[in-house]
Amino acid sequence: MKKRLLGSLLLGLSMLGFSPAAPQAAEGQVLNVQHPVLEQNWSPLQGGGHSARWMSLWWAAPMYFDKDGQLTPYVLSEVTSDANYQVWSLKISAKAVFSDGSPITADDVVGTWNLSARPATKHSRVNLFLGDVTGFEEVSLGKAQDMTGLKVVDARTIEVTLVRADPIFDQKIATALIAPVKIAQAEDANGNEKQDWWMPQNGVVVSGPFMPESMDLDKGVITFVPNPNFFGPKPKLSKIVVTTVSDPSTATLMLRRGTMDAATELITPTIIQDLGPGFLNGPALAKGQQFWFNPNRAPMDDINVRKALVMAVNPKELALAAFPDGPFTPASQILNKVPGVDASYPNYPYDPEGAKAALAASKYGQSGRLPKIMFVGISTPTHEAAAQYIAEQWRKVLGIQGVEMKPAIETYSGPDQASVQIFRDDVGTRVPDAVSYLMGSIHSGSGNARNKMGGYQNAEVDSLLESASTKGVKDPERISLAQKAQRLFRDDWMYIPYYYDVMSKWAMPWVKNFDKNDDWQVIEPWNVEIDEAGRP
Amino acid sequence: MRRYILSRLIRWIPSVFVLLLTIYALVFFGAGDPIKLIFLQAPGDVAYDPARVEAIREAAGLNRPFLVQFGDYLANVVQGDFGNSLVSGRSVNSMIQAALPVTLQIGLSAICIVSLLGIALGVIAGLNQNKLLDNVIVGFAMIIWGIPVFVSGPLIIVVLVLGFNQDVPYGWDGLFSPLVLVPLLVLGLNPMALIIRQARAGVLEVLSEDYVRTARAKGIPNLQVVLRHIMRPVLTPVVSQIGLLVIATLNNSILIEKVFGLPGLGRLTETAIKSSDYPVILAIVLIFSVVVMTSNLLVDISYPLLDPRAAAKRTENEE
Amino acid sequence: MTELAIQGPQEDRQISLVQDAFARLAANKLAVLGMILVAVLFIIAAFGPWLTPYDFLDQDLMARNQPPSWNHWFGTDDLGRDILSRVIYGARTAVVVAFSTVFFSLIIGLFIGSIGGYFGGKVDAFVVWLIDITMSVPSLLVVIVINVSLKPSMVNWMDAKFMETGNEFYRNTIWVDFILVFGSMALIKWPKAARIIRGQIMSVRNKNYVLAAEALGVSTPNIIRRYVIPNSIGPVIVYISAALGEAMVLESSFSFLGVGVRPPIPSWGNMISDGLRVWQLYPHVLAAPAAALAVVTIAFSFLGDGLNDALNPRQWK
Repeated sequence: MKKRLLGSLLLGLSMLGFSPAAPQAAEGQVLNVQHPVLEQNWSPLQGGGHSARWMSLWWAAPMYFDKDGQLTPYVLSEVTSDANYQVWSLKISAKAVFSDGSPITADDVVGTWNLSARPATKHSRVNLFLGDVTGFEEVSLGKAQDMTGLKVVDARTIEVTLVRADPIFDQKIATALIAPVKIAQAEDANGNEKQDWWMPQNGVVVSGPFMPESMDLDKGVITFVPNPNFFGPKPKLSKIVVTTVSDPSTATLMLRRGTMDAATELITPTIIQDLGPGFLNGPALAKGQQFWFNPNRAPMDDINVRKALVMAVNPKELALAAFPDGPFTPASQILNKVPGVDASYPNYPYDPEGAKAALAASKYGQSGRLPKIMFVGISTPTHEAAAQYIAEQWRKVLGIQGVEMKPAIETYSGPDQASVQIFRDDVGTRVPDAVSYLMGSIHSGSGNARNKMGGYQNAEVDSLLESASTKGVKDPERISLAQKAQRLFRDDWMYIPYYYDVMSKWAMPWVKNFDKNDDWQVIEPWNVEIDEAGRP
Repeated sequence: MRRYILSRLIRWIPSVFVLLLTIYALVFFGAGDPIKLIFLQAPGDVAYDPARVEAIREAAGLNRPFLVQFGDYLANVVQGDFGNSLVSGRSVNSMIQAALPVTLQIGLSAICIVSLLGIALGVIAGLNQNKLLDNVIVGFAMIIWGIPVFVSGPLIIVVLVLGFNQDVPYGWDGLFSPLVLVPLLVLGLNPMALIIRQARAGVLEVLSEDYVRTARAKGIPNLQVVLRHIMRPVLTPVVSQIGLLVIATLNNSILIEKVFGLPGLGRLTETAIKSSDYPVILAIVLIFSVVVMTSNLLVDISYPLLDPRAAAKRTENEE
Repeated sequence: MTELAIQGPQEDRQISLVQDAFARLAANKLAVLGMILVAVLFIIAAFGPWLTPYDFLDQDLMARNQPPSWNHWFGTDDLGRDILSRVIYGARTAVVVAFSTVFFSLIIGLFIGSIGGYFGGKVDAFVVWLIDITMSVPSLLVVIVINVSLKPSMVNWMDAKFMETGNEFYRNTIWVDFILVFGSMALIKWPKAARIIRGQIMSVRNKNYVLAAEALGVSTPNIIRRYVIPNSIGPVIVYISAALGEAMVLESSFSFLGVGVRPPIPSWGNMISDGLRVWQLYPHVLAAPAAALAVVTIAFSFLGDGLNDALNPRQWK
């Protein structure tokens, strides 16, 4: 009886002609994208956040890596350096124009980079790309307005001076995250970013294949249409609609029904069963997820404890707990995908007896004397499953109780919280180079070592990497020194290997040419099209 | 009456001040720093440089002392300016202006529908005490009471999509779009149980009164008895539940707006709390308490209209 | 002599009232059902660890998301843990949180309510003001803010204490979750209790026989014991029963939002939120905790209604 009542209620609803947003009379293909967070900030100068994943749609990068990893000119037509790799000359393409037809000038590029470096702009990745430019440090700390190393030679030429030799500077700036904007629009008289200048309501001028048509940030809906003045190939899509759908379960249903075609980022424990293996899959990335230890906090200050914790975990079961159906592969060493992966790297063993012995040999002696252990970075269901598996192994093998982990809503507590000893996070490299991979993950100057590993420092590792980084890209020493550093790091037992990432496509099979690069950007947005026949 | 409202307002202002101070202090001292969060929540290749973060905080005026910042904030709020979001830099006023109408429209409609439906069902149940219809309605009320909105919302979506092959009811297209139906239903179901029970209990109590018994014994048609004698005394307990209903609806909107993609205060709350964006959190707290206060005031004002006797008793209790 | 004169009839009345109330309660079938269910819940919560077929933490990665079977009556979750065991342990969480919440809100309510009722005047006006603002606070929002902002500081403090003293008590900060959840809920929930107490004291104060007793020199504690407590006990019991149910739902909302009790400690709320992620494929993961929560909520409301009918003095008129 009660069931019938509910049933008829629902039936009544559906008969009322219940269908959301009737499909617009589309002349051409519309790509619907699901966006996971209600984002109020779509400024192209923030270099982070989920909104930055769609930069390549509306902004032309200085250069880009194509599908095969070849460095390809875009806004910049030519990038050359002197023999010491310290002074670089950047040439802007004669074709490069904004959507209003005005040319992209050297002033725009230099202005954008200076503005991005200033602290008030809050660009979160600029130091990865421009950190070695002379004067960057002063600007990023608010002590200077402009980098002295950026010089406008003429309207289409820029000279960049670096503080140290960097043979791969051209690869570093090949990213849409520092795409030049029309600086007169973005910057106010005091050198601060203007508020909301990037909204179509305020007449923003863009350089990419698409331009924003409308932005309703309160509803969380943004539409893009082709940029008529785009200086590259003509885009195939006639519209892109980015809609905020923050509930993963709802989002999955919408993708299944074809209401949505792609997602900015979507992970659920059953996503492969729900949406097929192609959705999450993609090319392997030079990026790995690990659980990093902080050696300056008890009990991780004892190498034997770290050893015990690592050896108590079975990598195969860890993979099974977190991503039983792929597409990731279990990690071992730090390096992956880049030239220079150590083929004979000795993996950490799974050895419960050895783990017990190591714990007994530590200064704590037994599990009861260990302080509580806390994980952070447990931000997705996958990571939560992995962390719970690890905690359970420690309980079973070593008898450790009371392991805590921090899921989504509290991620803010961050690494400065006194009690956190383990930080789940990814490290990787944007350039196919083993040295920069390790410089960004285990060198004491890296953000990873400083924050996630609480100021880890191994002088030998540092000096090996530093001397490697000055060797030319073709010098075999470059790789052998890096591998040596990685082995030394291994013997410090600083991490639990977790998995190597892939650049997930996050699109349904009917979306074609949707390949993405390591910066999460669609590589060639103008080529994206929809196979209408494949849509449900 | 005007004096009454005025005195309520005067009592209310210090309470809002205390509330704002408490929340500001909680978020300021306890929760994370929104600027650090921008760097910490991002994936691992983001370089977290403490010196740089410090410079950013300084640029945003965040390292001034607590009282200075709170004083500044308060001075702005008094002028009707909630400041800018620390995360996006957008004006909080414009965010609230966009979100508030959505929540208010949906919430008020839900409350109206729920009250009407709930009273009707409750009265029907009461008049048919212990008969099948009564049992069905009471059973229904019990079931919807036992299922929290965060379960019933997704449940209904999945039934609609997988069972009835409908599109996901997602987004906001004005109050008169069919998209609104399901969220209305979900928002309303749980609190409706409350109304049904109150109305039913009210009817049962009235039915035992002599004048109603007499009227029924005289053979006056049931409907007429209901309209003439029962409605008024039944409405009183129901109206007294409105304050609770408003709070329940606001709470539920935090839980389900995200599920249905409603661009209201609930969804804003969730986003703001996750990023510890306290200008936004404070504005929402303020708005929510204004809404609750206003509805309480309205209830109090409408009391004498419904039942002068009860109102007199109530004020006597308050003294 | 005078004391006896007052005492006699009063105590008789009390006994007959209690008997009366019991008779009414026993006659109400739904209330009895509610009472039985609530009793079962308490038994499960008390003896949970001896009742569960598996350890609630035991993972079997080869048996993930298994549908219900003889081995696992409610199936297994995404880490191959037995859902029945987790639901049983979740009952424990629910009862601990609900009881502590109600206990603390009752204490706060009794204290504040009786101060207001006893002193009257300016003090009472302040109490009424306090009740008013607390009741008009957006409860869920404020409780979330309290939880989110205080937890890190509390955890830090406990860790520092553990380092300093080595006292085992500070080691397991899982209790911070519990304390914060029920502490913050009690901060929001006390006004109802305060209102009841205050109202009772006010009405008793003005009754002629109390005024008479006061005039005759009966001491305040005696008046409270004889008149205030017997009169308040009915409404308070009804309040407790309703508040227990509410607290359980509220706790599950927090855990659902991710601010309540943390995994791996199971609570029905965090089990529901886990279940919602996978339930298009594995509905049983959601079904068990959601059903448990629904049954308990309904049971408390049956019991509350029954108690209300049996004890509510308004209906004795």
